[in-house]
Amino acid sequence: MATSTLKNVRFAGMATCVPKHVVHNVNDVPPHLRSERERLVRNIGIETRRVCPDWQCFSDLAYDAADKLLNDLQWSRDEVDALIVVTQSPDYLVPATAIILQDRLGLAHSTIAFDVNLGCSAYPFALQILGSMIASGAIKKGLILLGDRSSYKHKDPLKDPLFSDAGTATALEYQEGAPPMYFDLNSDGSGCKAIIVPVGGHRNPFQLEHGIARKGDDGFWRSDLDLILDGPAVISFSTQRVPPMVEKLLGYADIPKEDIDYFIFHQANRMINETIRKKLGLPEEKTPSTLREFGNTSGASLPVTVSVRLRDALVAGKKRLLFCGFGVGLSWGGAIVDVEDAIFPELIIS
Amino acid sequence: MDNIDTFIEKFITAVDFQEAVEITPDTVLKDLPEWDSLAALGVIVLSDMEYGKTITGEHLKQVTTVNDLYQLLT
Repeated sequence: MATSTLKNVRFAGMATCVPKHVVHNVNDVPPHLRSERERLVRNIGIETRRVCPDWQCFSDLAYDAADKLLNDLQWSRDEVDALIVVTQSPDYLVPATAIILQDRLGLAHSTIAFDVNLGCSAYPFALQILGSMIASGAIKKGLILLGDRSSYKHKDPLKDPLFSDAGTATALEYQEGAPPMYFDLNSDGSGCKAIIVPVGGHRNPFQLEHGIARKGDDGFWRSDLDLILDGPAVISFSTQRVPPMVEKLLGYADIPKEDIDYFIFHQANRMINETIRKKLGLPEEKTPSTLREFGNTSGASLPVTVSVRLRDALVAGKKRLLFCGFGVGLSWGGAIVDVEDAIFPELIIS
Repeated sequence: MDNIDTFIEKFITAVDFQEAVEITPDTVLKDLPEWDSLAALGVIVLSDMEYGKTITGEHLKQVTTVNDLYQLLT
């Protein structure tokens, strides 16, 4: 049963942090590659990306987002009952990054802290996981720290024009009578190889030869440690599975499309996002995009888009949002969330 | 249904050629400088949105000429 409803859970706030360093997909590559890059940029819609320097991890961005959000919410640190980190860029393979952040953020030892390994699809899943804990009455307040240092999965940030880095924090709390949240969440592991880092886990442990890079047709060097992305498989998956899921979720919640103020889609690339938008018959003004400046920040692309594009609208009054994530796994899901009087700090640049 | 000339116009837009290129039904896809992964994505979207057909990367590996692609999509 992929569809579900959560009651008595309030969306309390969201903060987003991106690194300072900006990489330009055309101007920053060697001159002989620029013409081909211009064609690529035209089609994927990504001009600039935010890239962490070597020392900066996803958790550093998430820390800054969480610290600011907790301060602006005026939540005391020992009120946070749960801290869920959702990332594929942990500080270490062991232990979980959430537990490290419990300490860094000065949260109580009684905090429930754990990691969830999801990428582009993560945001609605994360809302469901923390939301369920709150709706059950077990806990009152919790944080989701979600994002990735996706640029590093290709080591050289110029090599892949898609991925960008961001860390985000979302706060949920228990409130009697809060508007229901509706979810539709799905998984299909038969597509696990469509987006994969094949080496470094227990199936294919790292060996020295995996580190040897080979020069590709595009002039960049790649090794087995780099992320492999099967573009045709991903575009077929995204454009076939996502629109029916959104329709199904709207049907389940019995909410007409017109009653959704904004549809916040994972920012994958322009071709994918435009195809999904057209299939659903949605106007551009209801589908905000941050692809051009912020690229594909994996699961964080939903909070990035909210923080950058919708902050003023959300501060101004009640809005009904439909979040939709899709990608690595393969995994895809949606959530309908009413937001009112929530805290949205300005974009943090760290 | 689109005739082959209309299809070729749409194909040229979908692939987004850097420089003007002459394309006939007999043009071999692999000979086109832009017949790459980005072009494949463009053609997959074209097939879906214009012809209502879901194709995969595997389908694209099996076609040789522009006319083969036309037959596949229409």
